[in-house]
Amino acid sequence: MTWWQALIDAGAIPAAYVPSASAGGAAGADAESGERADLVEDAEVQAHPIPQRAAARIPPAVSFLNGIERWSVRAYDGMVPVVDAYVAAAVRRRDERGILHTILERSRSFAVAPAERMTAHLRAVLEQAAPDIESIDGELVGQPARYLEKVESTVRRARAHLERDLAEASSDALGPEEWLVLDGLLSRSPAVARHPRTLGVIKSHGAQFLEGRGLERALTLPAGHRTSVFAVRGGHTRTEVYSWYLRLWPWEGNDLLYGLLRIEARAHAQTIASASGLSGWLWAERAPLATPATRWDRLLYPLHHVEAYLTSRAPRDLGMRRASRLPRTGT
Amino acid sequence: MSAPIGRVVATELKPATPHQFHFWTATETSIGIGAIVKVEGRATGDEGRVVYGVVSEGFAYSDLATPLHDVVGSEGDPTRAADAPTVRQQIRYWTAAVLRQTPEEPLQPVPLGQVYVADDADVAQALRMDTFLHSATPTAIPVGLYTSAGRAAPVYLDADFLLGPEAAHLNISGVSGLATKTSAVEFLLASIFAHFPAHKGRVAALCFNVKGPDLCFLDQPGDLSDEDRHRYERLGVPSTPFQQVRFYAPLKADGVNLNTLRTHPDLIGDVEPLTWGLQEVVDYAEVLLNRDDIDAKADAFIDFLRDRVLGRTFDDGFGGTHRVQTFADLDRLFRSIFDGLEITAGGRSDTWRTHHIATMRKVRNRLLNISTRCKGLVTDDGPSNDLPWKEFEDRTVYVVDIANVDPLGQDLVFARVVSKLREQLERRELGVDAVVVFVDELNKYAPGDGPETYVKKMLLDISERGRYLGLVLFGAEQFRSQVHRRVVGNAGTQLFGRMDMDELATPGYQVLTPATKSKLATLPIGELMVRHPHFTQPIFVRFPKPPVLRGRDGVERFPPAADVPFDDAVVRQLVRLDRRIRPNQVKDLIADRPQEDVRRALAAARRTRPDDVLAYFRRALGARVAPEAPVAREHHAVPPLNPISDEPY
Repeated sequence: MTWWQALIDAGAIPAAYVPSASAGGAAGADAESGERADLVEDAEVQAHPIPQRAAARIPPAVSFLNGIERWSVRAYDGMVPVVDAYVAAAVRRRDERGILHTILERSRSFAVAPAERMTAHLRAVLEQAAPDIESIDGELVGQPARYLEKVESTVRRARAHLERDLAEASSDALGPEEWLVLDGLLSRSPAVARHPRTLGVIKSHGAQFLEGRGLERALTLPAGHRTSVFAVRGGHTRTEVYSWYLRLWPWEGNDLLYGLLRIEARAHAQTIASASGLSGWLWAERAPLATPATRWDRLLYPLHHVEAYLTSRAPRDLGMRRASRLPRTGT
Repeated sequence: MSAPIGRVVATELKPATPHQFHFWTATETSIGIGAIVKVEGRATGDEGRVVYGVVSEGFAYSDLATPLHDVVGSEGDPTRAADAPTVRQQIRYWTAAVLRQTPEEPLQPVPLGQVYVADDADVAQALRMDTFLHSATPTAIPVGLYTSAGRAAPVYLDADFLLGPEAAHLNISGVSGLATKTSAVEFLLASIFAHFPAHKGRVAALCFNVKGPDLCFLDQPGDLSDEDRHRYERLGVPSTPFQQVRFYAPLKADGVNLNTLRTHPDLIGDVEPLTWGLQEVVDYAEVLLNRDDIDAKADAFIDFLRDRVLGRTFDDGFGGTHRVQTFADLDRLFRSIFDGLEITAGGRSDTWRTHHIATMRKVRNRLLNISTRCKGLVTDDGPSNDLPWKEFEDRTVYVVDIANVDPLGQDLVFARVVSKLREQLERRELGVDAVVVFVDELNKYAPGDGPETYVKKMLLDISERGRYLGLVLFGAEQFRSQVHRRVVGNAGTQLFGRMDMDELATPGYQVLTPATKSKLATLPIGELMVRHPHFTQPIFVRFPKPPVLRGRDGVERFPPAADVPFDDAVVRQLVRLDRRIRPNQVKDLIADRPQEDVRRALAAARRTRPDDVLAYFRRALGARVAPEAPVAREHHAVPPLNPISDEPY
């Protein structure tokens, strides 16, 4: 019997609420808290052409790290939602034939509930039945929408924690010629951010590090170009990294962010020297297309592949929305 | 147990059922269409259930949503398509048809378990061979090796279902020119001879050679590769040619040279002439009559001849007494009757013993015509030389070479031989308990459409009733769809070599998946698809090259000898009977003697096989008499005495 079934048997009210963001990769997973950016290449932001695909040097061995999160309200104790959450992350290594193999994988299933706001009886049942409980502040219980946002950020934080652990474990084990590409911020972990062969690929651009003419150049970057490298301090660890924008697909006819990636690498002079070469490599990763993912224009296929791998191994009942929320007839 | 090679998957659109399931494997896998796999129910909530299946369809696809995405990713340049650093996730997805489930009841959908390549024991289980392979009285006949997925497991047919009585007969289809059909039958006959169960008695085979030298060298060793020898060893069949083969061929029109391609001096000694006289032919007169001829009147007259005339002393009613034993005797009888009607009756009557003269003329023409059209097989005069009825030997192949005989004669040979086999098997007098009759070109002898010939009726009769008698038909044809459906339908075992795509498009092959059809259309030489009552799905097997000399190779190694002059041919036949005979003795003896007399004496010596052949031959030839002026022989088509009235009687 699952912990939520035990909870329902003990008197909790069954529920089925799957947040839209939980059905796939979280849209806000890359939310950044950028502050400032200092150009470390060029006097002002420039658009640099990157090597054509034929000239790109693709490392012989690359590992890709990505993670997923799933959560759903399973039951209510009065008006207190009790959430079932699942986060997972994996590192898949690309062999010389271009085939990906999982080398590291970790997942966590846990309940999210404000223990202090639950009735004593149901709280006891939950604590006895659920092996892993993530406590959450119960202040927002009275505001269901904001409470769920809080749940979402809690789950996302758990996922980020998992990814960071895997990134550190994976970067420690990288071979001399091997690179690690992770989906999201590189700067979450100091060890990873300082590694000479790790890259962070950021698809969402919640924070802008440039302004004025520089920002315009970045957002109107032609396909096959990168911006000048700039230094950013972001993420919870505030580890400084070097970053630049890279346009994979022409944005004209779409929107400013179409095909636009921000790349993070270690803050080192070597990064500036190799930014174009690394961009050429990532440009070559446009193929194969990461379809059918909706963000295929910014999602590298290997990262999409890791996500698909994790999705196939996630609990099926989490993230499965009911086709209809019409009242059940009981027949 | 070996490592799993796949896993059963089922979706709402493609669920697993009790008769079919789907599974995936790694991209690099040894299995393919026709591979036998095993599914274990362990750890799926269906402990103990084991399902065997044969792969019937295969699919490969990637996560590519639309082909256009590949174009976009390659920027429209096909040469760049292979440059992508990551290989798209792809799947090898297979469909398998269930061969067997254990336990068999309750019959349930295939569990979503792990898939394994079947080993030898699994193949035996899957094909239900365990029941006849390991019973107290095994009845297993090897048909070939199952070689999919890197395995080489023997596949057996059940003799009770191949040679009767449960089911019987075998039909083999395939395109011409690959030697698969003939080779498969030759191998299978060798296998039957090696494995026919002792408790089922004695078995022989009778093969009609209907084209070229196909079956003329069954006693000569062919070239076998080491791989073939290994396969023979694996199947427990000796890789040697047939030890006992008897060849029969009619004579040519000259009555002394054999009408076969096995005339090389080293081999012709083993070929027995096949010659029949009136007695042998008249019982099958129906074969000789065409569709328009068959009527009650002709039938009645033939019956009359058969019951009252042949072999008896018979008074023709005009003062003549006849003993009709040969075509010549019959001709004399007819002439006597026609003369009698004209002279004795004064031409006032056109009936004789209720038979109208027109009917008699028609029957006479047809019967006497056969001795002309099939001269050499049918003798006008003189004794016959026949198959060794009642003395068929165990594990012996009897080859009747009718490749160069007139089609009418082929029909006659076929009808008579099969009828005699049937008759003697019914009486248990043949000398063996079961006979396999191999007939190639069923498209010609038992077509699905066309007239109801005597031969077709006979083939239908064997197909439907032969299994109770031990008379087993092994038929071969190019287009199965064009053979009479009751002939192919009654074949318990069906083999398919490489097939023509047009043939595979006919309704009879609808049960096969497109992949199986594709495999059939490209099947290599030496591979067959087998359907057998114990196998719930078709199985592909590989059989070794037959251990005998192929017809084509045979005529190269043993080129047929040219026809020899009459006297040399007589010498050769007599020397075969007695090696002490010197050619000059014979040539002196037959010089200036009518060939008919020589042929008659030769046939008598051949039939009697005396100790002193030359003395017997001399006696049979009789004293030399001065040649007489040839008597003007009347034309066979005797003109009617009176105009034929509408009333035949």
